Amino acid sequence: MFFRILRQSFFEGRKRKILAATTVALAATLITALLDLSVDVGDKMAREMKSYGANIRVVPKSETVALEVGGIDYNPLKGRDYLDERDLPLIKDIFWRNNIVGLAPFLRTSVEAEGRAGQAVPLIGTYFDKSLPLPDDDTYRTGVTATNAFWAIEGAWPDDEKPEEVLLGRSLARALNLAPGATLRVQGTEGGPTPLRVTGLLTTGGAEDDAIVAPLALAQRLTGLSGRVQAVEVSALTVPENDLSNRARRDTEALSTAEYDVWYCTAYVSAIAHQIEEAVVNASARPIWQVAAGEGAIIGKIQLLMLVVTLAAFVSAAMGVSSLMNATIMERAREIGLMKALGAATWEIHMVFLGEAVIVGVIGGLIGCVAGTGLSQAVGLMVFGSTVSIPWIGVPVVVFLSAATALAGSIIPSRAIARLLPVEVLYGRR
Amino acid sequence: MDALAEGMPMEGCATYGAPARDVIEIGGLYKRFGAVTALDGVDLTIRAGEFVAIMGPSGSGKTTLLNILSCLDTPSEGRYLLDGIETATLDGKAQAVVRREKIGLVFQQFHLIPYLSAVENVMLAQHYHSVADRDEAMAALERVGLGPRAQHLPSQLSGGEQQRACIARALINEPAIVLADEPTGNLDEKNEELVMALFQQLHAEGRTLVLVTHNPELGARTQRIIRLNHGRVEA
Repeated sequence: MFFRILRQSFFEGRKRKILAATTVALAATLITALLDLSVDVGDKMAREMKSYGANIRVVPKSETVALEVGGIDYNPLKGRDYLDERDLPLIKDIFWRNNIVGLAPFLRTSVEAEGRAGQAVPLIGTYFDKSLPLPDDDTYRTGVTATNAFWAIEGAWPDDEKPEEVLLGRSLARALNLAPGATLRVQGTEGGPTPLRVTGLLTTGGAEDDAIVAPLALAQRLTGLSGRVQAVEVSALTVPENDLSNRARRDTEALSTAEYDVWYCTAYVSAIAHQIEEAVVNASARPIWQVAAGEGAIIGKIQLLMLVVTLAAFVSAAMGVSSLMNATIMERAREIGLMKALGAATWEIHMVFLGEAVIVGVIGGLIGCVAGTGLSQAVGLMVFGSTVSIPWIGVPVVVFLSAATALAGSIIPSRAIARLLPVEVLYGRR
Repeated sequence: MDALAEGMPMEGCATYGAPARDVIEIGGLYKRFGAVTALDGVDLTIRAGEFVAIMGPSGSGKTTLLNILSCLDTPSEGRYLLDGIETATLDGKAQAVVRREKIGLVFQQFHLIPYLSAVENVMLAQHYHSVADRDEAMAALERVGLGPRAQHLPSQLSGGEQQRACIARALINEPAIVLADEPTGNLDEKNEELVMALFQQLHAEGRTLVLVTHNPELGARTQRIIRLNHGRVEA
């Protein structure tokens, strides 16, 4: 009989229930969209943040002090330790290999350039978009196009397989009065004069603006350091730092075994750097904290903002439902009075009204799930240029939260049921 | 009516042939609303099987008395025994239990749930009492001549039909007493006659009925009239 009453009474005061369901649906839409985005935003934001540069720098262990001014390395190349270019695939073979979105080796030197006699011109050798065969993926390509997406090119990227193709920093190009397509002769420490073809002009806002950026192979040939690299910059998807990762950053020995396991198996930038050190012998991997911390802070703040908005949406929906439920109870006071006069216990009447609230919440939640999923896809396309993945576990969660919101919003007004006296409402003495 | 006034059960009462027990016993009952005394020391007894009318002018306290008899209200002072249960001091929950177990209510405004059919309205009283039984509810409606209209919503029933549905609901749990507040107040003459005939039939079957009315003609069709004036029972 209860369900019969519930079913029949649900269609009473239809307008108010539609309004209440709409209120819940709006909140559920927002929450579904935020949930979809928040699950995906960490990944998407991290990928977006990757465009601002690598977040881990790998150097030989002995290179503890870098003599680098304005991005130019003044350490003499001879007598230094280097990383072996053949070890680069090992970086993509760590536990968190799928989080390594790109890596770029660097070998920095200086050359004499035609037109700037007597002046050393920095030359940076790197990968632009080079194939790096991996044991389980022979199609993997990486380079500064992946790690330094903020580099602006006028012209074309050089081909890694054509060592004579280079980028020219915009300031240097202006000084040399060269444009894309021009040829520049340089003289390295090894070999004779080498003609280079400028494929594009590079603007980074950094030291590269005054340098020649060439394929790694060219830099190695000009320095006679075949198969050697000075540093590798790694761009990795990471999770925001927290207390555990900060402690690990200070001293991994201070962690308990369980803490160490959690830290190691979480994509903290420090954990990924640690695993790179384990994989590459004689390498020191250090997070670039400005980038890593910035990523973590921004993603953490965005997720906090989403949580606050979610809570605000639920509170607003609960207040809306509360107001509508209050009006419904007042409108149906005689019905409540009659139920009481017939001997209904107060909780039995509560069950009818709260049951209606749950149904309204479930309906609103389901509508919100559909609308919110659409909204999140639209936001994903507009902001990130791709759809966001739908966490299906979110559907029951949002429906449950919507029902709970409608229920919570109904609890305070439903207390009026207990206060209604049948003798007052049945005889209109209110 | 004279026989009952003398304390003798009439033919058709449930206790015919034996001394009728008191269903209602009230002593020294007061109800005050602030400075206003609505009931001023009411004493009365109603026996099982009686058909009693409570009459009096407006403001005499008859509805207040009926509310207390219905356990919808509590007296300020005094004693009220319903079927042996002292109800004057009961809290809201216990009053609700007494209402569903002992009392059948018939209202002037009918007070049927608008979204439930006639039979569902009757089943509602069963539901709060024990278990809803559609067949029993249908039988109760047929008894008041409403079988063919059982599936109709109150808005699809005439006033007389709604009142008969209300009477079926009042009777469905076999209450110790049926209390009716101006049950024909909203009915035309024909339906008034139908309802009164129904009450008389119920009385004949041994039901205890208390009718609050200001209509002397209806009062005359009961066994006994209790007249109230300024909150007191007239001698």
